[in-house]
Amino acid sequence: MSKPTVASDWLCGCAGCHMSLLDIDERILQLVELVDLRATPITDLKEPDKEGVTVGILEGGINNTANEEVAKRMRERCKILVALGDCAVFGGVPAMRNFFGAESALKRAYIEAESNDTEGKIPSSPELAEMTRVHALHEVVPVDLFIPGCPPNADVIFYALSELAQGRIPEIKDDKLHWH
Amino acid sequence: MKSTRSMVLVSADPESMDRGALDVFTELQKQIIEFGLEEEIALSMVNDISKPGFVPLVLVYPDAVIYGPIKPGDVHQIVEEHLYKGRVVEEKQISPYNLSGRIAWLSARKGTLPAENRIVLKNVGVIDPEDISDYIIHDGYQALGTVLNDLTPEETIALIKKSGLRGRGGAGFPTGLKWQFVNTAKGEKKYVICNADESEPGTFKDRLVLEGDPHAIIEAMLISAYAVGADEGIVYIRGEYGLAISRIKIAIEQARNFGLLGKNIFDTAFNFDLHIHAGAGAYICGEETALIESIEGNRGEPRSRPPYPTTAGLWQKPTLVNNVETLANIPAIIRNGAEWFQSIGTDSSPGTKVFTILGNVNVTGLIEVPMGITLREVISIYAKGMKNGANFKLAQTGGSSGSIIPSSLQDIPMDFDSYKKAGVSLGSGALLIANDEVCVVDLVKVLLNFFRNESCGKCYPCRIATPRAYEILTNISEGIGTMHDLDILLTMSKHLVELSLCGLGQTAGSPLKDFLTHFRAEVEAHIKLKVCPAGVCPMSGRRTY
Amino acid sequence: MIKLTIDGKNIEVQEGTTVLKAAEATGIYIPTLCSHPQLTPYGGCRLCMVEVEGAPTLQPSCTLPAVNGMVVKTNTEKVMKARKFVLTLIFSERNHFCMYCPVSDGDCELQNRAYDEDMTHWDLQPNWQPFNVDASHPYIILDNNRCILCRRCVRACDELVGNYTLGFEERGADSLLVADYNVPLGESSCISCGTCVQICPTGALIDRQSAYQGKETEVEHHIGVCVECPVGCQRDVLTRDNRLVRIEGDWDAPLNHGLLCEKGRFLPLEDDRDRILTPLIRKDGSLKATTWEEALKVAAESFNNEKGLAAITSTRLPAEDMALFKSIFGDNLKADLVTTLEEGKPTSSLAKMAEKLGKSFETSLESLKDTDAVLSLELDLVDDYQVAGFFIKRQLMNGTKLIVADSKDNKLAEATTMRFPLTSGEEADFLTQLLDAFENSSENPALIEIVNVLKESEKACIVYGEAFAANADETAITLLLNLAEKINARLIGVKGNANSMTAAQLELEAPINVEECQAAFILLGDEDPSQKLVKTLEEVPFVVAQTTYRSQLTGKADVVLPVAMWAEQSGTYLSLDGKMQKAIKSLDAPEGVLTSREVLQKIAKSLSIEPNMDWKASLMKRMPTVQIQEA
Repeated sequence: MSKPTVASDWLCGCAGCHMSLLDIDERILQLVELVDLRATPITDLKEPDKEGVTVGILEGGINNTANEEVAKRMRERCKILVALGDCAVFGGVPAMRNFFGAESALKRAYIEAESNDTEGKIPSSPELAEMTRVHALHEVVPVDLFIPGCPPNADVIFYALSELAQGRIPEIKDDKLHWH
Repeated sequence: MKSTRSMVLVSADPESMDRGALDVFTELQKQIIEFGLEEEIALSMVNDISKPGFVPLVLVYPDAVIYGPIKPGDVHQIVEEHLYKGRVVEEKQISPYNLSGRIAWLSARKGTLPAENRIVLKNVGVIDPEDISDYIIHDGYQALGTVLNDLTPEETIALIKKSGLRGRGGAGFPTGLKWQFVNTAKGEKKYVICNADESEPGTFKDRLVLEGDPHAIIEAMLISAYAVGADEGIVYIRGEYGLAISRIKIAIEQARNFGLLGKNIFDTAFNFDLHIHAGAGAYICGEETALIESIEGNRGEPRSRPPYPTTAGLWQKPTLVNNVETLANIPAIIRNGAEWFQSIGTDSSPGTKVFTILGNVNVTGLIEVPMGITLREVISIYAKGMKNGANFKLAQTGGSSGSIIPSSLQDIPMDFDSYKKAGVSLGSGALLIANDEVCVVDLVKVLLNFFRNESCGKCYPCRIATPRAYEILTNISEGIGTMHDLDILLTMSKHLVELSLCGLGQTAGSPLKDFLTHFRAEVEAHIKLKVCPAGVCPMSGRRTY
Repeated sequence: MIKLTIDGKNIEVQEGTTVLKAAEATGIYIPTLCSHPQLTPYGGCRLCMVEVEGAPTLQPSCTLPAVNGMVVKTNTEKVMKARKFVLTLIFSERNHFCMYCPVSDGDCELQNRAYDEDMTHWDLQPNWQPFNVDASHPYIILDNNRCILCRRCVRACDELVGNYTLGFEERGADSLLVADYNVPLGESSCISCGTCVQICPTGALIDRQSAYQGKETEVEHHIGVCVECPVGCQRDVLTRDNRLVRIEGDWDAPLNHGLLCEKGRFLPLEDDRDRILTPLIRKDGSLKATTWEEALKVAAESFNNEKGLAAITSTRLPAEDMALFKSIFGDNLKADLVTTLEEGKPTSSLAKMAEKLGKSFETSLESLKDTDAVLSLELDLVDDYQVAGFFIKRQLMNGTKLIVADSKDNKLAEATTMRFPLTSGEEADFLTQLLDAFENSSENPALIEIVNVLKESEKACIVYGEAFAANADETAITLLLNLAEKINARLIGVKGNANSMTAAQLELEAPINVEECQAAFILLGDEDPSQKLVKTLEEVPFVVAQTTYRSQLTGKADVVLPVAMWAEQSGTYLSLDGKMQKAIKSLDAPEGVLTSREVLQKIAKSLSIEPNMDWKASLMKRMPTVQIQEA
């Protein structure tokens, strides 16, 4: 039997959850023994294989139509979809803009921010994805496993991935469960 | 006005319509007028009864006779023979066997045409509400005299218990039993409160009693106070009911001048006085414990029970809270006896019920009919059928605190137990009758909007689930709902009933369940097809919040 | 007794016990949020729902009284699902995103409950309505976005503190926690007792000082008596890496049950006085750092050699220290003046009466908690000794009557219509008039009203403060005792500082007179010297100050011995009602700084004195005004 395949991607997040994934350090060697790491932001492949992967991991909230597309593609191509980190699980930090609206967030970032020159400008181009309200992953596609944390602890990520690799659904509870 | 003695229904399913049901209906109308029967015969079209090959059908009630197939030419004979002379036209009669639709009621309710019967509204519009003598001429305060002079409090309670009167505020709790609880509760000081905070949307039955017959309420409160051992009463009236407040005020003043309030009433040892507390516009204050909190000057929020108000109510003293309509029955029961009361309505729910009829029907307004009348009868007889012959789709009972009754349940007798058995509730007695042009998603959205605005916020399920449900319903009405949303709504409905502190939260859950039980296909059309079958919802595909 | 079954366990409880309490007593855990042991049950959050056999719906265990034969189940699937649903709802209401919340990870009851239920996510999202954040208060930040509307703060402000500052505006999902009639908290009637912050289950009410400074998982707890006043509240000092993080009231404390006041909770963390870290000696007119040996040698020499020695101690110090101080300077050195900074003003007249009568006549503060009438004599329980004031204020709504007789403006008087202005020093006249009014009525309607209230009361308390004690002669106190006897009232004397009662027991009550003194030893500890003291000491040629902070006194002192502040030492305190309680060391003193006791011992050693170390026995010698109870 071939090894289970894993793909990951990041949406509207800070990449911290992937950094935390890297924090499993040398245990990544154990992991690659167990799984075949396919497309991830830290490997060369950029899209999950068309033939599908066993486990899809998404970090970040869904903040625009492009994110939506990535999430839906991942959902279609993976058997088990994992929401990794608070932004994917709850909406997290990016979702805080929902309290004020995308417009005022853009204004703050591109016009009012202290580091901007006097004539700040909100980028606009037809090529840019359309901003939406920030959603948690499960609001857009069904999610099979939630690993909250900002970021999730490396040990928790390692535990979850190795369980998934061995065909078990990990139990995120007790000391493995944290939301911050 | 003569009372309706017969109800005639014409089948209006597509096949009947194809075969000239409308002509039959028009001809019936004409003939009935010709014979001068228009005030005795209720005529309407019904969509849910058919019999292939025998349509159009004409159903005559309460005789439970079915004629078919009927052509306009047959109408004269039926009207003259059956409706005018009272002889069944046997050659046109067919058996109920194989009829489609819900016709079980036909034979079950044979011979029981529920005529209007005024107990609660007896004096309304008859007497001058601002003149106590007029009330006294109409047997007023006679019941109080009987009770104070001839009955002990215990005997009074026994009489009310025997009558089988149940609370008309919505829950249907046996009134006599409630009185007994307060009577036996320990305490020197006790209160009686009349709950006149009628705030259910579309309900104005209590208002009519308060405005038209205020002394009946005062008399009933005196009787209840005597029975439970209270010496102080409060009429908690909805603040918006200006006229009712002023009439009750006048009535209290007059009663006081006549020595009917105050010390040693009817020269007995019984003392009682009454005052008014006007509500400040919160729906929740119709809930008895919230009402009590409001009188005490606190936020109008329900209390946890137990203890019940019957043992620890206003100022922690035993308190009897009765609805206006419940109280309005009391003097009549005392005057006419428990047996008389039992003879009206059904075994488990004796007496009458005042209904407020609203919606897409020909006649709206108040009726007082015996308990056990069916929705079909209400619509056909009292509402004079659906407006423009439209389909009856559903009824919403009780303003907002009742249930959504689909047409398939319109033949359930409207009494507390039959409705409970069918999983629906009678509510406060408003009947919002809707035709096909009403969208259930929209209706439930409106209801949840009401609940989210009126939730007091004390208990979490009600405070949080009602706005969330409203938002989900808004999404569905915008065409961006998901099937998962329906699961969430069902879960909410279940938990609202299971977890809420008071009736508001508990009933807020019922439309969520009702509309998915009875109208799931219509709701799913909003989600799967992005179509609102009734053409009501905006379906813009955008989030509106 | 009521017998019921919870989760198959047969339990017997007192009548009136709630199912929640019954379960807790048996060790069965039921999660709660809006419920708090110190508050009356509320039944709002619906987290504690249980299945009761025969009940059609789930029942809130916090408000449900146990009934004979009741069969309760706390962990059925129905219950578990309901709990998760309630939590899901709460998280979907406002901003309950934990990432950067100061109470996340251990301090948030909401988060803890979710962890208990293994919640990895929630199914609903909020409607993203932002709410007001109120940062107008000097200590407290109110973030309505984190509020779960459990109203614990409101109920605490009403039921425990009696200040009625917090309340709710609007209804339903719009309900908003507001101060007074929706004014900024900093401009409201808030008295900064901080009970609301302590009782808040989430991050809706946080204090500026401790936010992000340390979480439950990182702090150490030190529970001991508060030394800011003699009420004797138990408090929990939270530290992290030898820093003060926060001070909380101890919910389990028998007297204060978690309550503290601004002085006990917030002010100690605001302390920015200039700490002295090394012994100092005045050389050529200015203070120079020196060694302990040198400083002690110079100090001891002055105690031995100079004519006329005055020794004055703070009453904020532990009993051990004060007894040691008395033993060294009184019993051994026989200094000309051995007294306290308070000169016995709050205690001596009363202590002398107790001695004369041969019995104690004052009673415990507990009696304030169920009193039906309070006569407050020359005492402002709003400005000072606040927690004792809370006991009174919170009962006023329930009918307890309050009479305030004071010669000064008194904030407690704002809570009552019964005020009686006194003239300072003429308290005896007032008491005579009052007693007379009992016998012969009076022409003064205010007096008649007071008499009527006191006559009707069954559990009256008379509280009096330093201003009364300082002026009262034997006659005044006799009148007070007569009044108390007449109405069967309980007497509570509020005594100056945290350990004024110890000072009284040690008979350290001489008035400060340093005219003849050539040297003075001032054991100031972490107290601030008064202007008057500094002025008085100007006449004294040589001053040794044993103190924590730089002050006007050290500006005058010839030798400065740096000592630990309150948090750096343990010791015993006698509360105003005689409870003997321990203050607990919470921090290590900076290197080179010693506790007052260590310094006193060193002084004794350099003077070759063997001081009496049995401090407890010294305390017990005198008849106390109120019975001393050892914890």
